[in-house]
Amino acid sequence: MSNHVLTIQTKNQPVVLERLLQVTRYRGFEVAGMEMKPMADFSGLLVTLSIVSDKPISLLTNQLNKLYDIEFLDCVESELTQAEAGSMRA
Amino acid sequence: MKGAELVIKLLEQKGVEHIFGYPGGAIMPIYDALYQSKVKHYLCRHEQGGAFSAIGYARSSGKVGVCMATSGPGATNLITSLADALLDSVPLVAITGQVSQAVMGTDAFQEVDVLGLSLAVTKHSFMVTDVTELEHTLNEAFTLAMSGRPGPVLVDIPKDVQLAEVQFKPRLVEDTATAQQEFLPAAALEQARLLIQNAKRPIAYIGGGVHMADAVAQLQDFLANSPMPSVTTLKAMGTVPPSNAYYLGMLGMHGTQAANHAVQQCDLLICLGARFDDRVTGKLAAFAPDAKVIHIDIDPAELHKLRRAECAMIGDLRELLPAMSVPTHCEDWLKHCLVMKQQHGWRYDHPGERIFAPLMLKQLSERLPDNSVVCCDVGQHQMWVAQHMSFSHPRNHLSSGGLGTMGFGLPAAIGAQLARPKDTVVTVSGDGSFMMNVQELGTIKRFRLPVKIVIVDNQRLGMVKQWQELFFNERYSETDLSDNPDFVSLAAAFAIPGHSISRKDEVLPALEAMFTWPGPYLLHVRIDETDNVWPLVPPGAANQDMLTEKAQ
Ligand SMILES: Cc1ncc(C[n+]2csc(CCOP(=O)(O)OP(=O)(O)O)c2C)c(N)n1
Repeated sequence: MSNHVLTIQTKNQPVVLERLLQVTRYRGFEVAGMEMKPMADFSGLLVTLSIVSDKPISLLTNQLNKLYDIEFLDCVESELTQAEAGSMRA
Repeated sequence: MKGAELVIKLLEQKGVEHIFGYPGGAIMPIYDALYQSKVKHYLCRHEQGGAFSAIGYARSSGKVGVCMATSGPGATNLITSLADALLDSVPLVAITGQVSQAVMGTDAFQEVDVLGLSLAVTKHSFMVTDVTELEHTLNEAFTLAMSGRPGPVLVDIPKDVQLAEVQFKPRLVEDTATAQQEFLPAAALEQARLLIQNAKRPIAYIGGGVHMADAVAQLQDFLANSPMPSVTTLKAMGTVPPSNAYYLGMLGMHGTQAANHAVQQCDLLICLGARFDDRVTGKLAAFAPDAKVIHIDIDPAELHKLRRAECAMIGDLRELLPAMSVPTHCEDWLKHCLVMKQQHGWRYDHPGERIFAPLMLKQLSERLPDNSVVCCDVGQHQMWVAQHMSFSHPRNHLSSGGLGTMGFGLPAAIGAQLARPKDTVVTVSGDGSFMMNVQELGTIKRFRLPVKIVIVDNQRLGMVKQWQELFFNERYSETDLSDNPDFVSLAAAFAIPGHSISRKDEVLPALEAMFTWPGPYLLHVRIDETDNVWPLVPPGAANQDMLTEKAQ
């Protein structure tokens, strides 16, 4: 199991969250936490996803990067322990 | 002008000549704008058929296919075809009408969340909420459908947007995207050349990405300059000409023995525009076990997805292939592959009077004029087409690969015939698959399309029956079609002549009659229900463990 935090900047489209979550679920990754806020000038959204998985994270980031609505994606391995990830899920 | 008129004007401006669709309430303004326009619309008899025709059009021509449907049931009927286009990377633009925004979200008549439904089956989908965005969105849809790894794009247009007034200045000159300067990955290319030079047993594993990148000529040059055996996926058949001595045919579950053994034995696997699909690899962990891998694709998400590559490159095959060409040093391996190819050649000396489908399809292939298009459906007949017919270009073989969608063949043939009116178009179907979009006979009749239809009738859902026989203790659950309609009479109801045959000696005269008839024609070919497709890699087995007919 590994934990990653994805910071994603997207176009300001209502469907964007569905797309992110659909791809994440379909590619077999679990969302342990999520935060979203519009950018200061409302030109886009800033989404932070905490992802737990036993697969290489690139299998997800490569797919997310292909999404038309995604402008920028940054991925860092997070310090979360598995127990913390578990409690986030609870 | 109104938004609806803008849609049609923009299609005209983009040089779209043919579109496929079916009208209904929420798309009526666009159909009104279409009336007497330069864009020729082909009324199909089911939206799934219309979208498959657009796919056949796109795949046989290399252009974007366009289809239209109304909201609700019209749009839901497109879903299977969108999924087909996604899995086979076909450039398709689907335009759907949607209920007006004023009633959206109220469960209005024929309202379905098409944007939501489309997420999993498109490369991208748009909903246009303001008429001022319509032109840009449609332009983006066409660009996206064709660029990078091609795919289906859906544009959902609410009725109020279709009816809203908008300014539109037709442009005389098409916007041409400025060619991007590609930087070749020098280090990876150097590594690839070294791997190729040092390999004792290299092989090229060729997928649909090669012809979609328009790199067929570069591939053929590469194989000439760096001689090595090659194998293709179902989608890439025709990329290597059958005259190439070291071409071993299709690999995978129903691939040739030579192709599968060679891949299992190779020490360098050069994967070009292919994606290690499970129907290709069999047991993944045992696929090409001794091979280092060079993998090139336009889609970064395919690299390392299922198999780690020693050398991975994202980019344009037209540039990368010439840069990879180096002499190979594998004479013994080439000889070995030639021997395997000879040893495991197909046999057509089938005893008895009844028709042996592989031989019939070989005869059909030999009788076809050059540059004909062959479409097929899904099942045993599809695999026999891939095994026993030869193709001079991948655009001449339209087969639903990734999704394996029964009902693909007949409407795809309609699209291909319209894209290539001068070429002969044949669809080879099974008795099961044919009935899935049989209504499109009405489209053939209306537009007098000279599509030749060959039905390989085993009175069974043959491929499923074959698995039941081999892997489910001969428990034939729901695969009997012995009460099929009389296919020749069915065609006659659409003014399409036909003929039924069941003996080997009838095949050649029947093919002659079909091809000398100027219009559409249906040839009904009865075969034995017990015939199966060989060889076969059982599910979960490694590709060297193919079952063959003799072994049964
Ligand atoms: C739409 C759809 N439904 C079900 C299947 C599963 N399936 C695969 S092959 C097959 C049998 C096809 O029968 P037929 O068209 O008669 O061809 P045959 O195998 O007999 O040549 C079925 C049901 C499918 N591929 N597509």
